[in-house]
Amino acid sequence: MAAEMRLPAVHKFISLPTTSQSQDDKQLVVPGEVITSDTGFMRGHGTYMDEDRLTASVAGEVERVNKLICVKPLKTRFNGEVGDVIVGRVTEVQQKRWKVESNSRLDSVLLLSSVNLPGGELRRRSAEDELAMRDYLQEGDLISAEVQSIFSDGALSLHTRSLKYGKLGQGVLVQVSPSLVKRQKTHFHNLLCGASIILGNNGYVWLYPTPDQQDEEAGGYFTSLEPVSLSDREVISRLRNCLLALSAHKVLLYDTSVLYCYESSLSHQIKDILKPEVMEEIVLETRQRLIEHEC
Amino acid sequence: MAAVHLSEAEKVYIIHGVRDDLRLDGRGCEDYRHMEIETDVVSNTDGSAKISLGHTDVLVGIKAEIGKPKPLVPNEGYLEFFVDCSANATPEFEGRGGEDLGVELSNTLYKVFNNRLSVDLRSLCISPGEHCWVLYVDVLLLQCDGNLFDAMSIAIKAALFNTRISKVQLSENEEGGKEIELSDDPYDCMRLDVENVPCIVTLCKIGHRHVVDATLQEKACSVASVLISVTHRGTVTCVRKMGKGSLDPESIFEMTEAGKRVGKSLHAPLMRLLQEEESLGQKRQKVGFLG
Amino acid sequence: MPFDTKRIRGPEESQSPLLFLSPAKVPESSSREGVRGNGDVRPVFARCGLISQAKGSAYLEAGNTKIICSVYGPKEIERKDETDMKTGRLVCDFRLAPFSCLKRGAWIQGSEERDLSAALLESLQPGVCLHKYPRSQIEVNVMVLENDGSILAHAVTCASMALADGGIEMYDVVLGCALRQNGESCLVDPSYTEECGNWQAGYGENQGCVTLALLPNLNQVSGLTAEGDMREDTLTDAVRTCMDGCNKLYPVYQQALIRAVKKKAPPPEK
Repeated sequence: MAAEMRLPAVHKFISLPTTSQSQDDKQLVVPGEVITSDTGFMRGHGTYMDEDRLTASVAGEVERVNKLICVKPLKTRFNGEVGDVIVGRVTEVQQKRWKVESNSRLDSVLLLSSVNLPGGELRRRSAEDELAMRDYLQEGDLISAEVQSIFSDGALSLHTRSLKYGKLGQGVLVQVSPSLVKRQKTHFHNLLCGASIILGNNGYVWLYPTPDQQDEEAGGYFTSLEPVSLSDREVISRLRNCLLALSAHKVLLYDTSVLYCYESSLSHQIKDILKPEVMEEIVLETRQRLIEHEC
Repeated sequence: MAAVHLSEAEKVYIIHGVRDDLRLDGRGCEDYRHMEIETDVVSNTDGSAKISLGHTDVLVGIKAEIGKPKPLVPNEGYLEFFVDCSANATPEFEGRGGEDLGVELSNTLYKVFNNRLSVDLRSLCISPGEHCWVLYVDVLLLQCDGNLFDAMSIAIKAALFNTRISKVQLSENEEGGKEIELSDDPYDCMRLDVENVPCIVTLCKIGHRHVVDATLQEKACSVASVLISVTHRGTVTCVRKMGKGSLDPESIFEMTEAGKRVGKSLHAPLMRLLQEEESLGQKRQKVGFLG
Repeated sequence: MPFDTKRIRGPEESQSPLLFLSPAKVPESSSREGVRGNGDVRPVFARCGLISQAKGSAYLEAGNTKIICSVYGPKEIERKDETDMKTGRLVCDFRLAPFSCLKRGAWIQGSEERDLSAALLESLQPGVCLHKYPRSQIEVNVMVLENDGSILAHAVTCASMALADGGIEMYDVVLGCALRQNGESCLVDPSYTEECGNWQAGYGENQGCVTLALLPNLNQVSGLTAEGDMREDTLTDAVRTCMDGCNKLYPVYQQALIRAVKKKAPPPEK
């Protein structure tokens, strides 16, 4: 039994001298702010032309690529690109497709024809498969998938045609801002501390116990409901709180940052990580180690 | 309440975690989340408090107004509760969406305070049968992440502690009528004795065990919960089974026992905190809503 | 209608003069009105099927408390915004007739009645096999004709009898029992005066009301509300006493239901 009560304290935003790019050369704008009145530039996302002046339409950071000017909003819903790894939740089963909530503006679509069905790759989708769709994935189920294409209205079409994608079993979902997930070659990591992580580009992070062996006989639609061992649970809970701490202090998430944060949290109890002062301490230590690592 | 969808496997993971006394965020079954309380946050009220419990944020404002005592109890004032579920907390509360929850919450508050001991209502009487203080307790939900009842009751206790009611005097004018005179000194106030104000503990039955301070995810795994309001002496002022499931009699006894233990232990740290805040007085930097 | 402004209007809120009498004291342990002891329930009278239009109905009398209940449905769900269509929905409407209490009530549902509706729903829901009725809703309407205490407890019983009479599949009947704790003694199935008693007026210790709903065969508690100021051990005892009360009443309701079923059965073929 523990209930800790306290007065709120004013939290300072901790900032470290950043190494590679300093904060100063970033141009930050608010909607309606004129970026340039030079007509030699091209209008990109997040801007509009007000007569001859290029004006920002979102609050964020100005990006210039040659003659193209965009404003990248720092907090946004997920704008998917082909090849992105996402974690999403099935919200609806429709004819020949599943609707998947994936933190983007519109629900994404997973077509029956873009999943691996049990019994091998080369199989025609029959009417029976259509009827049995709910047996594979039903409302509420979590999946990992890849963006296959983007519809004209911006909705994403997903596919799970690889053994690494599919239905997710036991584990914990952590939701962070999509801009905090660093793009990497792989978003699937078996962390050294004893758990695995899927860092979805859409800001959904899935933590799960590292599977013993990669046997995916049922095509990734079988989930074990066997109890997870206590030691695995401790690791996963610690990782979950670390992820929340990192995201609260706006640290980019990738395997190294998560692992460093995990290691610096080891001196604290799992439930204490979410206390503001512990959170600050851990994140500060993580940042320092990341900077040392970069040098 | 904001709907949370969970897959079967996620539910199983949570239920097994509760069995092992290790919840998703590393807490044990009887641990509360990190709690921050501040009083005197709204200047137009006679007493106010804000609590944040994890991501649940509740703001309570108390206003004292002069009204007429109820005919059955002419020598007492009374409390009125209103809970507003603002659409800020979740889009589902938009329009009339939050109304049912709001009515349920305020009705529970009436029950919790429906006894003679929680607040000394006689001290709210100005002249028997004619005038009394009516305390309007308005609760605003700013964010909800589960366990609204507990957060709300703690905030109400803090706000009642913070409440200062101006002293009034009755005088008779020439014609023999009574007049109410407000004291000139704004610091000449009456305080309420909040020692007996109960705190609510909600216990959610998950699997074969029960947890306190459940998050929305944990609540989605539970079919029944028991709400208990407990005073610092350990007496129970309200019990209510909630949710669509039923409970074994034995587990009800276990839960009331645990609820009493947990609820009793909430009061001492809360009072210590409120007294500490008061002793700091003006020196303390106010955090308000930006904390 | 033209309004006569010259007349002095009465106060917006009016009260019955009876309310100003000093409230009756809770009878001492031995002097409970009538002949019943503290642990005894009032004799009940229960009948099913008196409203012919309803799918199921029941009428219940306990002392002067009189409750009528009707069940309609299952029928197609009206509001389809609910996402969970796999199970049916139970809708409860609890009303007190305006003349049922000492003080005249309003016809529109007040917050007390809404609260009682919610408590009734929570007590009934675990007993009904709602998964057998996907996409449909079952309506339960309870009207209290005369309030002489323990209305929620009797309403739960009455509603579950109406559900059974209406042929709705149920795991078990749901029975309610109320209790009034007064210091160290407790009164089972209190009447209205016992319910309010000196709790409204006095500052005694261990005062409170408990209402419990029980599924007697499964031995599961489906509803529990308590208010007042009680010690935890008193509360635990009160819950046990209420469970005993429910079990005592069970045979009466069982017989009433069997009687209703017999009545409906076609005459035996000769």
